[in-house]
Amino acid sequence: MGEFEVHRVRFFGLVPAGVRCLAWQPRSARLALARTDGTVEVYNFAANYFQEKVIPGHDARSVEALCWAGGDRLFGAGLGGAITEYDLARLSTSCSVDGGGGPIWSMAANGSGTRLVIGCEDGSIKLFQVVPGGIQFERNLDRRKGRILCLSWHPSDTHIAAGSVDILRVLDVCSGQTVQRIMVNYHVQKVQRECVVWSVIFLASSTIVTSDSFGRVQFWDWQRGTLVESHTVSTSSALSLAVSEKEDSIVVGTSTGATYQLQLLPVRVGSLEKRWVRTKPFQHHTHDVRAVVHSGTALISGGLDAQLVIRSLMEKVQKKGYEAALRKFTFPHRRLVSCARKARLLLFQFTQHLELWRLGSTDKTGKDGEVLPLRRMPEHLVQLKSKGPEHIYCSCVSPCGSWIAYSTTSRFHLYRLRYKGDNVSIAKVPKVPKLLLPAYQLQFAADSSSLFIASAQGSVHVLQLLEPEGCKHLHTLRPPSETPEAVYLLAVSADGHWVAAVGGDWAIHIYSLKSFKHHCTVPTYSCAVTALAIHPVTNNLVIAYADQQLFEFSIPEQQYTAWSRMVQNCGLHRLWLERDTHITHITFNPKNPSHILLHDVYMFCVLDKSLPLPDNSALLLNQSTLKQLPETARQRQLHAFKICKKFQPLLFADLLDENCLVMVERPIMDIKTELPLPVQQKKFGT
Amino acid sequence: RRRKAAAAGKRRPAAALLSPASSEDEAPEEVSFGVAREAAETERKLVGEAARRHRELLKEKRRRRQELFAEQKRRKLLPETVLQELDAMPPKRAEEQAAAVNTGELCGGGAAKQSEGKAQRLMKKDVQRKGARSKGNYVAVRLKDQSLAGLHQQLARDFLSTHLYGPDTNRVQANEFFSLENKKNPVRKAAVQFVDKSWGQEKKLKAARFKQRWLA
Repeated sequence: MGEFEVHRVRFFGLVPAGVRCLAWQPRSARLALARTDGTVEVYNFAANYFQEKVIPGHDARSVEALCWAGGDRLFGAGLGGAITEYDLARLSTSCSVDGGGGPIWSMAANGSGTRLVIGCEDGSIKLFQVVPGGIQFERNLDRRKGRILCLSWHPSDTHIAAGSVDILRVLDVCSGQTVQRIMVNYHVQKVQRECVVWSVIFLASSTIVTSDSFGRVQFWDWQRGTLVESHTVSTSSALSLAVSEKEDSIVVGTSTGATYQLQLLPVRVGSLEKRWVRTKPFQHHTHDVRAVVHSGTALISGGLDAQLVIRSLMEKVQKKGYEAALRKFTFPHRRLVSCARKARLLLFQFTQHLELWRLGSTDKTGKDGEVLPLRRMPEHLVQLKSKGPEHIYCSCVSPCGSWIAYSTTSRFHLYRLRYKGDNVSIAKVPKVPKLLLPAYQLQFAADSSSLFIASAQGSVHVLQLLEPEGCKHLHTLRPPSETPEAVYLLAVSADGHWVAAVGGDWAIHIYSLKSFKHHCTVPTYSCAVTALAIHPVTNNLVIAYADQQLFEFSIPEQQYTAWSRMVQNCGLHRLWLERDTHITHITFNPKNPSHILLHDVYMFCVLDKSLPLPDNSALLLNQSTLKQLPETARQRQLHAFKICKKFQPLLFADLLDENCLVMVERPIMDIKTELPLPVQQKKFGT
Repeated sequence: RRRKAAAAGKRRPAAALLSPASSEDEAPEEVSFGVAREAAETERKLVGEAARRHRELLKEKRRRRQELFAEQKRRKLLPETVLQELDAMPPKRAEEQAAAVNTGELCGGGAAKQSEGKAQRLMKKDVQRKGARSKGNYVAVRLKDQSLAGLHQQLARDFLSTHLYGPDTNRVQANEFFSLENKKNPVRKAAVQFVDKSWGQEKKLKAARFKQRWLA
């Protein structure tokens, strides 16, 4: 098979931002997620929880509330004081309306998605109407002193519950008046702190559920203004609440990272009287859980430790198979690292800067598993800071290492690098053509002579790079049918004749670069594409889908290859299909044309097309057993998938030359030590 | 003060009259009205003059103090000549000039260093206002933009940080939190951040430079 020298890179200091808000769209099974740095992401649960859209953050944007309204439109509001609508096709903000009440703490959409209510810093509650093209101010409801931290509509849209500091208010929507005012702090004796109501839910049965900073979940009868039940779930704040559609199950997220489920259960089997009982505790997070969602079959929680956890409820799941497994997502589902193979450089993309590193080198060899001493340490060559408050969307370094390009929402930058001995000098390329921005993906040609920019409406721009320092817009490639979605993945062939592009509508278009015309479209498949690459020798397009399927499409022949048909007929191994994370990068070994190298977050695999495929009864991870067998026995047990799980969690893996691999890892503990402080857990005996 | 002096004046003649009393049994001396009046007047005059001198002294002190402050303020700005020259010259040259001025000319202690920094900032602000692009590690903002909206946002963020990370919230360092498991394992392991990489930075740098010099 082969021996590789592995450059194990752990100096990529990526710290993902914590999850701040979640919004669930049951109709299309999509989850919108907002992070503390202003990034908004959309996960498609039907496509195996693939992160299909990412809107990069902004320094001035803070999202405190997110909701779906008016069908499939996504709205966000934050401490900047404005309500923003996000355009999910163009992956940017489409319109922004100032709330007029200072920083906005909370926002809720009514049941039919026609109105939005916001709670502001100055204590005012404002109603907005969702109209085509934006939102329109309707009127102000009763304003009292105290910032409105949480809001909830009654399912019949007649009343709104608003939680503030020490106080819970109920307002009548038609008259706009406060019909009930409840003091939440009344029941705590001898405590000087104020009680902050972090989250509120209005149930159809005229009960209001609140969670506050004393760790209590309380049930109020709002018409009488009395407390019905009080559950203390935690010693630290209970930060978020979510209720199921049938209103028989509530999930609470706390500051310690624990989430609890409360269920409405009959007091005795068969009795009609029901009571809320705290049933299941979960500890999936280490930091504050600021957002929870209760979907039909699962509890979804997002914490400040940047993890999104989806926990299926066993009693709701039909098939008890892999679908019911716990899913945890920490890392983005896109590549943040690009590699210049010949120059042995790595480009790391952060939110506001880029880092270029040169890999170290060693001149010793060793046996399997040995750690070799470095003769030259890895060097941090360049740090490029992005100007302005916008976060970087995508970046790329050319294979020869002399060009770096990156893009934010409104600007595109191209730089030229020159190496003189050990020194590096960087110069910005002037007069970059004003193309339709932003660039969603960047890819350099294999010979570094041109740059491909993935753009809106399915188009790809081809930029020719001129020596010494210039560029010229050559052509714009467009798909045959109009589409509002942007291209998010690109693949270029090694001979420079073909380029493949995938847009948000999941259609893969292949263009010929000799004639700048559309060549063909890969037959549509009902899942999102997570990685794409064109083989250097055979010009076969290898596609990895979000449901872990693999396809190989021959570009010159415009049909699937025989090997791909065989894979589809035999089916992939069950353990391969039950992997948690998606394949984000595919690459090839030029010396061995039958090899495909792929990786996801927890494994690295070399796929050998010349070997037989494993069926479900064979062992998929058989590398360790094969090492122990003699040569003859090995031949019988060899199969195509050679998987290595030694390097985890993997952000990027690539082949530098025929004997050299680079693996960029990011240990989770390194991330956790750089996050905001967690709450102390007192353990017995420490 | 006039009232005080008058009161003191009133008390003094009485005291003066009482002091020569050798024994308590003797009756007080007979003093005629005119004598008493003159005594009182001279007393008053003396006290008034003392008060006036006191006031003059304070005024003098205050004046000297003001002059000292004015002198210090004047010292903080660059000499008039240099300012005029820089105003006249083109911006890029002005930057170099400012650098030269700051490194060379001003002498003195800590106050001078501070003034250098301030002058440099003043200089650079001037250059920026002229509209020329100059490199530097600063951001020029309009005060108009940093208005009430920013203040509200800051208050909101402060509220959030006090209630989530304030004194009552029982937060702990990441090292302590994650090392708990390592300590409680059957096989005890070291803490997550066992080595504090920020110890002895200068010594490490010196050692690296020393090694470089010896190996080169």
